Amino acid sequence: MADSNAPKPSSSVKLVLLGEAAVGKSSLVLRFVNNDFQENKEPTIGAAFLTQKCNLPTRTIKFEIWDTAGQERFASLAPMYYRNAQAALVVYDLTKPTSLIKAKHWVAELQRQASPGIVIALVGNKLDLTNDEAGAGGDAEDVGAEESGDARKISTEEAKTYAEEEGLLFFETSAKTGYHVTEVFTAIANAIPETSLKTARGPGAAHAASRTEEQRVNLNGPRDSNAKETCVC
Amino acid sequence: MLSFSSFVQKAQQLLDPTQGLNLSESDRNPSKASLFQSQFRLPSSQHPLYEITAELTIPPANATQGGRDRDLGYQYAGKLHLSEAYLSFSTTPSSFLQSASTSTSSIFTGQTHGGGPGGNGFTFPLCAIRRVERLHSQNFQFALSISTWNGISQDAAKDRDKKDLKEQRVTLQLAGSRQACERFCDGLKKGLRANVGNVAKMKKVTAECYSEYLLRPEDKKNAAPPDAGLGMMFKYPGDPKKLRDRAKMRLWAEYLRDNGRNMTLIRQPTFHKLIRVGLPNRLRGEIWELTSGSIYLRLENPTLYADTLSKFSGQESLAIDEIEKDLNRSLPEYPGFQSEEGIGRLRRVLTAYSWVNADVGYCQAMNIVVAALLIYMSEAQAFFLLSALCDRLVPGYYSTTMYGTLLDQKVFESLVEKTMPILWEHLVKSDVQLSVVSLPWFLSLYINSMPLVFAFRVLDVFFVEGPKVLFQVGLAILRINGEELLDATDDGAFISVLKSYFASLDESAHPKSENPKLRAVTKFQELMVVAFKEFSGITHSSITELRLKNKDAVLSNIENFAKRTAIRNLGPDSKLLSTDELGALYDRFYGVLYERQQRDHIIKQEQARRARTSRSRIAEAASEGDHGVEKGRVGLGPSTSLMDYDAFREFLAGMCKWAISDAPSTPRREASADKEKGFYGSFRRSDATLSPWGAGPEPADHEFLQRLFQKWDTDSSSALTLQKVVSGLARIKGKRDIMGTITYFFELHDNDGDGKVDREGILRMSEALLFLSRRGLEGTLNPTNSSLTLTGDGTNGGSDVPGQSVNERFLGSVSAFIRRCFEYADPDHPKNQDNAMPKLQAKLGSIQLEEHEGDELANPDAFAIGDDDDEDEDDLLAMDSPTASPKTAAQKPDTQPPTLQPNSTHLSPDDRRRVSKAQSVKANAALDPSNPLHITLPTFRMVVLADELLEQFFESSFPASFHIIEGLASAATPKSASSLTTFSSIGIGAGRAVNAELGAGAGREGAPGGAGAGAGAGRGLRGVLDNIVTDGMRVAAEVRRRMEEAQRELEKNAVAGQQQRASNDEEEEEDEEGFRGGEGGGGAYKGDAERRSVRSSDRDLLTGADAEASDGAVTDVGEGEVGRNGELGAAEGTGKVVGVEFDG
Ligand SMILES: Nc1nc2c(ncn2[C@@H]2O[C@H](COP(=O)(O)OP(=O)(O)O)[C@@H](O)[C@H]2O)c(=O)[nH]1
Ligand SMILES: [Mg+2]
Repeated sequence: MADSNAPKPSSSVKLVLLGEAAVGKSSLVLRFVNNDFQENKEPTIGAAFLTQKCNLPTRTIKFEIWDTAGQERFASLAPMYYRNAQAALVVYDLTKPTSLIKAKHWVAELQRQASPGIVIALVGNKLDLTNDEAGAGGDAEDVGAEESGDARKISTEEAKTYAEEEGLLFFETSAKTGYHVTEVFTAIANAIPETSLKTARGPGAAHAASRTEEQRVNLNGPRDSNAKETCVC
Repeated sequence: MLSFSSFVQKAQQLLDPTQGLNLSESDRNPSKASLFQSQFRLPSSQHPLYEITAELTIPPANATQGGRDRDLGYQYAGKLHLSEAYLSFSTTPSSFLQSASTSTSSIFTGQTHGGGPGGNGFTFPLCAIRRVERLHSQNFQFALSISTWNGISQDAAKDRDKKDLKEQRVTLQLAGSRQACERFCDGLKKGLRANVGNVAKMKKVTAECYSEYLLRPEDKKNAAPPDAGLGMMFKYPGDPKKLRDRAKMRLWAEYLRDNGRNMTLIRQPTFHKLIRVGLPNRLRGEIWELTSGSIYLRLENPTLYADTLSKFSGQESLAIDEIEKDLNRSLPEYPGFQSEEGIGRLRRVLTAYSWVNADVGYCQAMNIVVAALLIYMSEAQAFFLLSALCDRLVPGYYSTTMYGTLLDQKVFESLVEKTMPILWEHLVKSDVQLSVVSLPWFLSLYINSMPLVFAFRVLDVFFVEGPKVLFQVGLAILRINGEELLDATDDGAFISVLKSYFASLDESAHPKSENPKLRAVTKFQELMVVAFKEFSGITHSSITELRLKNKDAVLSNIENFAKRTAIRNLGPDSKLLSTDELGALYDRFYGVLYERQQRDHIIKQEQARRARTSRSRIAEAASEGDHGVEKGRVGLGPSTSLMDYDAFREFLAGMCKWAISDAPSTPRREASADKEKGFYGSFRRSDATLSPWGAGPEPADHEFLQRLFQKWDTDSSSALTLQKVVSGLARIKGKRDIMGTITYFFELHDNDGDGKVDREGILRMSEALLFLSRRGLEGTLNPTNSSLTLTGDGTNGGSDVPGQSVNERFLGSVSAFIRRCFEYADPDHPKNQDNAMPKLQAKLGSIQLEEHEGDELANPDAFAIGDDDDEDEDDLLAMDSPTASPKTAAQKPDTQPPTLQPNSTHLSPDDRRRVSKAQSVKANAALDPSNPLHITLPTFRMVVLADELLEQFFESSFPASFHIIEGLASAATPKSASSLTTFSSIGIGAGRAVNAELGAGAGREGAPGGAGAGAGAGRGLRGVLDNIVTDGMRVAAEVRRRMEEAQRELEKNAVAGQQQRASNDEEEEEDEEGFRGGEGGGGAYKGDAERRSVRSSDRDLLTGADAEASDGAVTDVGEGEVGRNGELGAAEGTGKVVGVEFDG
């Protein structure tokens, strides 16, 4: 993920992750940012903050990711995080029907309350627990209880139809195997309209833009080495 | 649409502002008791019973060190307070004013400005006082010498010659009238006596305090130290040398020796200084416990922690699952939490707390806070300290809606805006939301943000000075990093600046300074100085003020969010209702629950207050526990989301006319017609009693309501959730399909769900029909083609309205319904072979072919009848007027044609016909109880569809009777203008004209005369209608009685008790009828003479000068063309003036 040599235009995109507890939001972010999968050891208070760059052919997108806390009662804090987000990842667990209901709720909430141009991706996670060719992988032991069968409870068709109706990007992923994780973020990066990038941040003055650039350089020094560290402010 | 602040207003109406019970008033102007409790950090069981000005003298003889002159520090003027179990003294203003700093001299301004035990003084549990002696003093009338148990172990007490033993003794000189002093002393004496029994408890509590060990006598040198947290096992965070832990310990040992320890500690200026320097590791837990007051909670119930754990041992809960997930991520960097020991302690404390405070349960961030506490204190100590945190120090932070957290973020933001406007502007411009950064600071009390050693230093001050410390530190952080933050333009940069700042707190604040002293100042020290010096203006009172200011906005944000969430999660049935209907249902549902809780609370408070008033002196104590006042509000985390049967009745009474009681048992104030009422009613203080229904109408309690409740309560839990209510209503109102509604009604009466409704059930159905229709039918009714005879003599000349009211005809329909049910219930009955059956079947067939529906729609005569439709009601009058008794007419001052029939015994020809029907029913063999009979759903359908009016009832009337959205706003009271018989119904000609002009609802208030007239007339009419309904019910009762008679004869061997019960029921029913009849007839009529005169004169006025009157009325209301034109003119006028001004 190193900077390419060419001075590509670069801009930051605020992205928020929403979804029922334990669907794998933090795992997805960890996979994307760190290409790692492990139990989350970081205490999350409110939301964890992480950054990661995404190189597109024509530009670089720096994601500022807010991974919201899992507990139900923290939902009332969510507006604070999605308020000025340009993108959202609404995650559900393919093996848990209630999580899709919750995801639909978040989609409705975002469509109604977030910034109008927000790019929303619906993501069905834990694909490795299903029998699908693509997602199956990694060690089979975790498939556990559903050893013989398919733990999938939400069909691709159902979720996809819904996503199309609502105009959402749609992916099925596995944070565990890494399947389709980067693709989600790349698709989002591509979907962010150019115009939104220019006007997204600050007063838009050239001066401010250059300052952002500087800041990024500052930030990258310590951050690249311990990018997995969440916000501890 | 429905804001909770309106609830608050309603609550205020009920309350006497002087009592301090008032909702918002309790925030703005907290009760003396709660201020007292928070000043001395006492449990809510304590009330300020007596207070007196006093001077505290700590004799120099008590000093351990001679030589040093500390005389100045030994006398303090302040106030002495006595509560049930504590004697407290403080130099901070004891009037408990929150704005201490502004209203009292600075001498009295303690460090906490009223926010906590900041002043000098003490908080002695009465059981910690050994002896009180009255001294003879020349300067003062009263002087008390108080000696405590401090330093006296049980054995030592017997052997008082011991040299190392120093008794703690202070002198208090009381300044007050002799009487006041004596009263205080009497109270103290009583209190001391009452608390003698607690000495053992206190010993148990103090035994867990490290100070007892620290100052232990020589002979206990080898005793084991009490648990001072995981730090004893895993080391305390930080380098003890760097922290100068030993030096601190020595200072504290000295202070505690001189000034008492734990329960008997006296706060002098050194105490506060020692805290600011940072507490020594082993004493930290104990001092936190003391300054937060959690030690007093522990004293109250020393075994609560252990008891809770054993009581709930082995049980599971959602909170426990959530706790389990977080155990491994709570201060994982501290070695203690990498061990089973530490994890086990954390699990137990969090679990125990989730059981004792189920409203909060477990909230992420509590794990981090408790983990931090456990490094310095025992499990039990941490458990009580968590209590003190959740209830008093950071209320609402961890609640299910986290409103406290959100509120304090708003407060913090407004403080930043005020104190650092440039930074604020920058944040706004860069679209960085400050709270995403600062929220974790507050929620985890900086524990997760700063290196632990520094976070604990903040906590040291926080526990003694209260939540304002969190704000002061937060502001200082931003101030110190202001320059760099101004360069940050997005969340990432902002966070990065602060993160590196926190990481460097132990570095020099002035590394390049020439001055070695300055160079030695760390960034953390600088932070403390900026926080407490530069932001010393941030006081408890300024925080309280800002919280108040932002509270409503924050709560309604949360409530809107919760509402959106709840409505989206109501399940598939909810799709049958519109979003508006769901929104309204949500509001009604929680509105009723909230209001009931408030009422409950207020009634209890009122009772408590009265009880206290009668106990003379203690009246001062005012209200207790007003933290609870607002319980139940959704934004605060509703304490219930379940609706019991009574709440359900109230809920229905807010939207269904039929759900309002006919005969309220609680006296109601004269309904004020001019007062706008929401569906939730309002609190009103009635002089004698507080109505259990508030100011809303008393709900009816009919068998039908019980059935509906049970039906909706799908899992028989005797409680309805919002989801159940929505599902229940969706089946009635959602589909708008007659067959569905008929089926629903049938199932409602099919007790065992076997598809059959028996004799009893048929009667219940007809009673339900009468019950539902007794205030008139709503919805779309077709007045023609009734199965009953039409008289057709409309009084309005040329009117197409039949002479018989729909409501009256409906009674006929119901009695026909009973008859038919009994006929068809018995398939062998010869009647079933005659022509009735084929006809019905034909009709049913046509409906199945959906031809009927087409007919219905095409019928050009169909028109709506609702609250505002007067035509049918006119006809009711017209029908009744010929039979009006001349005597009644003569009593009236005017001779209006539409007189009313108040005579309850009067039977209209139609009524007579019904009675004869009942007699014919008697002849029906189906009534023979020995002949088991039932009707099935198809039969029921057939019978319903045989009668057009019944059909329409199920098609439209019944579903329409649930006014989900609009409620019964103006129809709130059955006796007022807007019940079935609105005043408009009186009117022929002119009357109706009035009604037309005033329009529906809104206009009524505009013309008080008219409204009054309406109310009066409505009452009269109601009498008539009650008679009719009563008659209908009588028919049903008659049938029932005959059946029961027959039954009795057949079951002569039946148990006597059963018969007893049956006849009791009967009597009750008859009594009720009698009562209703009386009320409807004579009772309700009494007041009508004057009312009527008012009404008629008003109407004369209005009719006499039609145009004029209409102008007048319209102008009053501020509506209508004339009024509007006038306004328009005025507006134009001002427009011109403005124009001129601009031009000039
Ligand atoms: N099998 C499988 N487990 C996953 C996957 N993603 C997350 N998990 C597990 O699901 C649980 C919850 O994950 P987490 O990221 O904490 O969920 P969050 O609450 O949404 O942040 C953890 O035990 C993860 O190990 C996945 O793709 N496949
Ligand atoms: Mg997570």
